[in-house]
Amino acid sequence: MRVSTVTMYEQSTASINRQQNDFLKVSQQIASGRRVVNPSDDPQAASRAVGVDQSKAITEQYEDSRVSARNSLAQTESILNSISDAVTSAKTLLIQASSDTLSDVDRESIASELKGVYETMIGQANATDGNGRYIFGGYKDDAPPFVKSPTGNIEYNGDTNTRLQRVDASRLMPVTENGATIFQGAPSGAGYIAEADVANQGSVTFSGPQVTNVNDPDYGESFRVLFAEDGVGNPTYSVEQFDGANWQSVTGLENQPYDVAGEQLSFGGVSLSLKGTPEVGDEILVAQSGSEQRPADLFRTMEAAIRVLETPAENATQKAALRNTLNTSMRDLDNSLDNVLTVRAAAGAKLNELDVIDAVGGNRMLNYEQTLSDLVDLDYADAISEYSLRQVGLQAAQKAFVDIKGMSLFDFM
Amino acid sequence: MSMFSIGLSGLNAAQNALNTTSNNISNVYTPSYNRELTQLGEGRVGGGVRVNDIERQFNTYVANQLNNAKTQSSALETYYNQVSQIDNLLADRDAGLSPLMQTFFSSLEDLASSPSDPAARQGVLGTANTLSAQFRSFDGYLQDMQSNINGQIRDEVVQINNSIEQVATLNREISLARARTGEAPNSLLNQRDFLVSELNERLDIKLNVQDGKTYNISLPNGQPLVTGASSFKLEAIQSDYDPQRIVVGYRDSSNNITQLDESTVKGGALGGLMLFRSETLDKTQNQIGQLAVSLSVAFNEQHKQGVDLDGLQGEDFFRVNPLQVTYQTEGAPAVEMSYVADNIDQLRPTDYTIRFEGGEPSVTRRGSGEIVDIGSGWDAANNTLVFGGISMVFSSTPQNGDRFEIQPLRRAASGIEVNINDLDKIAAGQPLNPEDDPADWIAAGAGDNRNALALQELQSRSIVGGNASVSGAYGVIVSDVGNRTNITQVNLDARQGLTDQLRAVQQSESGVSLDEEAANLIRYQQFYQANARVIDTAGTIMDTILNLRN
Repeated sequence: MRVSTVTMYEQSTASINRQQNDFLKVSQQIASGRRVVNPSDDPQAASRAVGVDQSKAITEQYEDSRVSARNSLAQTESILNSISDAVTSAKTLLIQASSDTLSDVDRESIASELKGVYETMIGQANATDGNGRYIFGGYKDDAPPFVKSPTGNIEYNGDTNTRLQRVDASRLMPVTENGATIFQGAPSGAGYIAEADVANQGSVTFSGPQVTNVNDPDYGESFRVLFAEDGVGNPTYSVEQFDGANWQSVTGLENQPYDVAGEQLSFGGVSLSLKGTPEVGDEILVAQSGSEQRPADLFRTMEAAIRVLETPAENATQKAALRNTLNTSMRDLDNSLDNVLTVRAAAGAKLNELDVIDAVGGNRMLNYEQTLSDLVDLDYADAISEYSLRQVGLQAAQKAFVDIKGMSLFDFM
Repeated sequence: MSMFSIGLSGLNAAQNALNTTSNNISNVYTPSYNRELTQLGEGRVGGGVRVNDIERQFNTYVANQLNNAKTQSSALETYYNQVSQIDNLLADRDAGLSPLMQTFFSSLEDLASSPSDPAARQGVLGTANTLSAQFRSFDGYLQDMQSNINGQIRDEVVQINNSIEQVATLNREISLARARTGEAPNSLLNQRDFLVSELNERLDIKLNVQDGKTYNISLPNGQPLVTGASSFKLEAIQSDYDPQRIVVGYRDSSNNITQLDESTVKGGALGGLMLFRSETLDKTQNQIGQLAVSLSVAFNEQHKQGVDLDGLQGEDFFRVNPLQVTYQTEGAPAVEMSYVADNIDQLRPTDYTIRFEGGEPSVTRRGSGEIVDIGSGWDAANNTLVFGGISMVFSSTPQNGDRFEIQPLRRAASGIEVNINDLDKIAAGQPLNPEDDPADWIAAGAGDNRNALALQELQSRSIVGGNASVSGAYGVIVSDVGNRTNITQVNLDARQGLTDQLRAVQQSESGVSLDEEAANLIRYQQFYQANARVIDTAGTIMDTILNLRN
């Protein structure tokens, strides 16, 4: 075939161009470290990389989420820790105060110490996070959840919500605890508590209640013991049971004669020992902590204890009130401690769970990075050998051009 | 016939051959040039040599094949140049849409962690602004390509008209020359063939050689561009269904202009542009629009389920462009269009044509012509048409024959903006009484993060087209454009190889080889010298005779 001069030049330049193009592409890959620079280099890989990138970004989001979840759980846990310490020391003080040898002045000094513990608790209950948000307010985290009402009692203004956070694809984790759960909650299976009415005028004191039979059909119900007199002025008692709406007499325990030297009552699987002289209208409530008749409230417990310790115990009625209230408060504090420890354990368990999710998430992240790298990153060994190959190709094309340029018949004329 | 005249004819022939050779050499790099050969023949009476013809080495068959190949490779090249621009746009993994959507959702995670923290709220607004700006700039880039294509189509049409006119002029000059001398000058023929080859690089044409002399050129659908010495014009005109779009119109002999269907113009740079626009650019722009609208509308819907820090119902978080009809028949009723939030997953990245026949609308996809099933979407009582995630409310009942063209998503990404700028307006919480009237909603508190969680969840929900998450939809765009670029490149390489080969064949026939011409130069120089020697010899002989007397 005839080869025209134009063809010779065109073909040489075309081949140089092509070689140069390939060479540049490899250089670009090496410079960027990526095999897929443009989507067109490998459309499947590029589009899968978008997906893997997204999964990676979501995993990172959950990772960030776990950091803040861990932060607020750890904060909760540390505050609950000091609250449980406070409850323990309050219990110690009450045990001291129960000693009969103490004078009114002694009790008053214990009361002031107890007050200090009480104020500490309020401070802890109104703790804020780094952003000035109240930790235990539920969703209402912009105002102190525990405030003193005009009557001097502490009231809870937060709500019963807990904030959830997505810490993993399929795990929405509660990361806060609200004040109601911590300070007004009772542990499940909390025992019976007896509480003498504050208006009691007699000197009946109780001990117990003791659980005798948890299988009793009425076990778990709320009861009350009412005192009255029979026709001749002897004290009697009746036991009533709360049916959900009204108090109903318990059959067989109506207007029973009461022995002031000591009486053992049994109902609903619990027994209660009573001693002392009642007045007509005196009343003792026997209910499970956290039930409707006897809601748990750590602050109320503390307030009741402080109040009774500050009151001088001069007559039998006051002494009975002191004994009964301390009795009740100590049981309440036990329950509260159980409750705080339970909530704290839950927070600790969640922290553990976060560690597990972190490990899994870390693995997943590694996988995604590996996949992404397999999809779009460059194999340098391959690329560098390709680079040398293209270099040789380009040099050869250039050499060929120079040789062709030098070959002309005109040079020999 | 004497030795003198024989020698003279030889001298003459050698002179001609040398001229031809010089002409070949001087035109070695002239693109339109075809190699010439001096055809020698015997003298008719009494010997000697004569120049029969200066023959142009031109093979019509090869030239046609090459022109065909050029049309296709030029179309592919134009296509590739355009599509690789989008390919490059999507190549940047760090500044593309995908990482910005990721940071946006990650800022929502921060909001869920501390719902009333001003820093977290500012983060959400900031990333939302960046994301919407990126949507706008994506659309701006693609829209620039649209207007560049409009400009290029205008340029191409001007060039095509020039070439067409010149071919017609050359047709006339060639026939005049033929009438004068019986032979056409090679240079004019070369010019005309070169113009045809250039035209082929711009668009696909049909060449019909009449009587082996006159070139008649027509469009593939038969509409003539050149007949003999007269030519017709193409014009760049506004599309009849989209005023923003430049298409090619044909002005016929009675001066009427008709819009050429976009599929009529095939091949060449013009065909490549048209094909790229309808096949890739429109679709990509619609896909970006679909992504922007689906995300905004779904996000707004969820945002409205929540309450902000002031205890009010969440407002629209993103603002999208109001929808407009791109074209409607004159006299047709006005239309109000909007996206339907409840079935936003029915949005498809297509343009639609709506025609009214027999009181009923029929909806077709523009381009494919596929009929869209509108189900019970037409409410004749209220003049409302609902389909594909949009609703159209006509101000009065459309007449039969009324036609509406809509592009619900084409420029959607250009108008996406963040609607709120007050940090307190971000609705991170949910009401305590969601079943009540939103005006009576009560906020649960500043620490409520339920709506922030729900907003964050949107990133994994299939909100685009009902089958893809936002990042999935972006992946589809990347894969579509990547594949299209890749295929075009492979086709272009293959087609270019074929074109190069045909070009080599054409050159082997018509191209000048300097080596060959160098040999010819020597050959014809010797030819000349030999003939001169013949005359010299004849002179010597004559002298001998004349000297006999002495």
